[in-house]
Amino acid sequence: MQIRDYIIRRLMILPILIIGTSIIVFALTRIGGSPIGIYLSHEMSPAEVQEMKERFHLDKPVPVQYFYWIKGVSQGDLGWSGVASAPVVDVFPKKFAATMELAIAAGIVAVSLGIAMGTFAGARRNKISDHIIRVVSVSGASMPLFWFAILLLIIFWVWLGWFPIGRSDPNLFEAIPHPTGFYTIDALLAGNFSAFRDAIWHLILPAVALGYGATAIIARMMRSSLIEELQEDYVDAAKAKGLAERVVLKKHARRNALVPTVTVIGLTFGFLLQGTVVAEIIFRWPGLGRWMASAVLRGDQATIMTYVMFTSILFLFVNLVVDIIYAYLDRRVVLGD
Amino acid sequence: MRNILIVAYSILLGLFLTVGVNAQTIKNPGVLVHAADDEATTLDPAQVEAGEGGETVILQVYDRLLEFGPSGPELIPGLATTVPSVENGMISDDGMTYTFKIRKGAVFHDGTDVTAEDVKFSWDRIVEMDLPEGQAGVISDIVSETKVVDDYTFQVILLEPSASFLNSTVVSMAASIVSKDAVMANGGVVEGEPNEYMAQNAVGSGPYKLKAWNRGENILLDINENYWGNKAKLAARIEIGAEPDVRVLGLRAGNYDTIETDPSFVADIEGADGVTLHTGGLLLEPIHVGFNLNIPNGALPKEDTIPTDFFHDPRIRQAFNYAFDYEAFLMGPLAGFGEFNPHYLPIGIFGHDPDAPRYGAQDKAKAEALFREAGYWDNGFSVSVITEEANLFADAALVLKDSIEGLNPNFRINVLAVAEAVFDEAHAQNPVEYAMWVKNADPFADPHPYMSAYQHPDGEWGEVHGFANGYRNPEKIAELIDGASTELDVKKRAAMYSELQKMLFDDPMWLITAQEGVTMAYREWVTGFVHNPLWPRPSLRFSYLGK
Repeated sequence: MQIRDYIIRRLMILPILIIGTSIIVFALTRIGGSPIGIYLSHEMSPAEVQEMKERFHLDKPVPVQYFYWIKGVSQGDLGWSGVASAPVVDVFPKKFAATMELAIAAGIVAVSLGIAMGTFAGARRNKISDHIIRVVSVSGASMPLFWFAILLLIIFWVWLGWFPIGRSDPNLFEAIPHPTGFYTIDALLAGNFSAFRDAIWHLILPAVALGYGATAIIARMMRSSLIEELQEDYVDAAKAKGLAERVVLKKHARRNALVPTVTVIGLTFGFLLQGTVVAEIIFRWPGLGRWMASAVLRGDQATIMTYVMFTSILFLFVNLVVDIIYAYLDRRVVLGD
Repeated sequence: MRNILIVAYSILLGLFLTVGVNAQTIKNPGVLVHAADDEATTLDPAQVEAGEGGETVILQVYDRLLEFGPSGPELIPGLATTVPSVENGMISDDGMTYTFKIRKGAVFHDGTDVTAEDVKFSWDRIVEMDLPEGQAGVISDIVSETKVVDDYTFQVILLEPSASFLNSTVVSMAASIVSKDAVMANGGVVEGEPNEYMAQNAVGSGPYKLKAWNRGENILLDINENYWGNKAKLAARIEIGAEPDVRVLGLRAGNYDTIETDPSFVADIEGADGVTLHTGGLLLEPIHVGFNLNIPNGALPKEDTIPTDFFHDPRIRQAFNYAFDYEAFLMGPLAGFGEFNPHYLPIGIFGHDPDAPRYGAQDKAKAEALFREAGYWDNGFSVSVITEEANLFADAALVLKDSIEGLNPNFRINVLAVAEAVFDEAHAQNPVEYAMWVKNADPFADPHPYMSAYQHPDGEWGEVHGFANGYRNPEKIAELIDGASTELDVKKRAAMYSELQKMLFDDPMWLITAQEGVTMAYREWVTGFVHNPLWPRPSLRFSYLGK
């Protein structure tokens, strides 16, 4: 089988996998009970409850409900989010952008600080600065995110008043269009520096809180890799050739030490995305994590379905890409050996 | 790399130094920042449920014909220029026809004039849409016909004389006046279907205009510069969904001017620098335990051993009322902020008789005697009570459990504390499949809605819970409630409610755990603070406040 045929075959299987996943996810959400509760209030009469069930097709058997759901999805209607009081399709892109913006900002904090701290400590092994950085790293890896986040909130928002919480100054946020949903990018596109500064300012506390744990992991990895590299023969050779310590460290040892660190950085991004739930709740960040936590607590099944399907489809595509890469690297995969 | 980092962190440090503020200065000048508990569901008066977050916004951006004034239940003119009365000729002698003169010069936020046609349209619209989540019954249960007499005269003809029409229907958020032009240009009126435009926008004539609703984040209100009355002093921003602890921290830091709170946070707020705790008055939402007299066969949780007619016996209901440890609930979860409440008419509401016999103190001896008389003392029973988790209602359920189980080791109360959506679904069933549940009432300004919804054998809960199965004299109770609702003589009406209170003491259908006290917190720099429990939560009209 050619690689092209293999890809086509995999692409043809993909819709079946997506539909299969959607059936499983839909059935699982219904096992927890009918989603009608999110739309009800205790003032409603039985007739009004029935009307609400009819409005959302919840008076029908579960397979028929699934049919209505899939029909809606095919028409771009993902249902009504009781938590957000709006159609899911309107809310999801905004929440997704907010979460990605926070995760990326936390990633920038983690990578820039982690590599700098790791390099600094590795180059000064067993000196006082190394010990300090190790303490900082260990504390970052061991402190629960919720505790550290609340600590930052109390110090910098309550006591000092230096940083805000939430995502934006609403007046600045409202003053610019939001074509991408990323406040920083939209502010730059609009050429509004005040809005850009506001976006950065609101990102600092949640990004630092979220990024600190990852910073610790990256710094420790970078430090140990660098120490190993500095013990390699090529480092001695470079020094013997008369290269300055700084050049040996930066141009040779650090570059090689980055290879295992980059692998860790890739894995860390998943950790950051998980952590957004806690950071968003504490810092009132209007992202997917906070929305989803409320949806789970209040039984907002339209929102839960969308989120679970989104992550499932994302994983299906990532798996597809990985399999295709494997196929390129190892032809036995394509041939089915 | 190093250079980039140095530049980046230098920029951050620079920003850090320039933006830092002095904690003692008034923060957010020109804007009132209120931290709310949760998100609004809709901003459409025809769709909003009583007590829901959308009513907070509707109160600020829409006008009604009449409003509750700042200091209690007295009515003040809104879009109507005069409060109707028999004396001023605006209520007919038979009490059936009400005439409202509409204020000239009032304009909607879209620039159109407010006329009697808009008022009629607004009232008819909610009845025509008749959304299950809305409050169409507030109008349709009481109003026979609405009429436009001329451009600025609106008339209402009732189904029967009503003592509660002005202070329960006319002031309701559902009776807010919307711009006819705006509605007709954006989806119109369709029976049984919400209007998406009106759910997410607001075209009223109130002191605030809706500027933006950023879901999960904030709702921004601009001052309506064309308002017919006293203009708001501050723009307003409602911050949505901050955790309770974050709200308290934000208030202490001065980042929020007012916050929604409950008695459990008083200890964190009391004595905080620059913060005022407002604790006067009582909420009009009794926290109650409901007794189900209409339990379907085989529906109860398997742990329950009671027969389905358990609560038909008034001695059992009385025993529960005597057994409850009122003091533990009031001094514990309510932190002392509240009052014992003798029965379903809250303290502060017309008709409340302070001399009526009351529960409100635990009396274990009487409870034991009643359980013995009813035949349950020796063999005991097990019964479940369903409630929302992690709030005052769950606390009340736990106090009930302690109280009843503390009487007799053979008694068992299973507290089912569940997610709000699960509770709402269970609670909305007819019949309800649990023997007891805990919640609170909606606030009203008139005794009739309380009596009608919570005590009448054919009322909202009377029907669901089968009160007719248990009242000693259901006909008499119905007659008194119906009679009091149409009795326009104040003294006679008060006497009828007093008699009802005596009857309902002997024949309780609820266990009223307490009437919660008001606990609102705000920054000292907020001026003109007034709080009226009859306004939708947080019971503030932002336009009165300055700083």
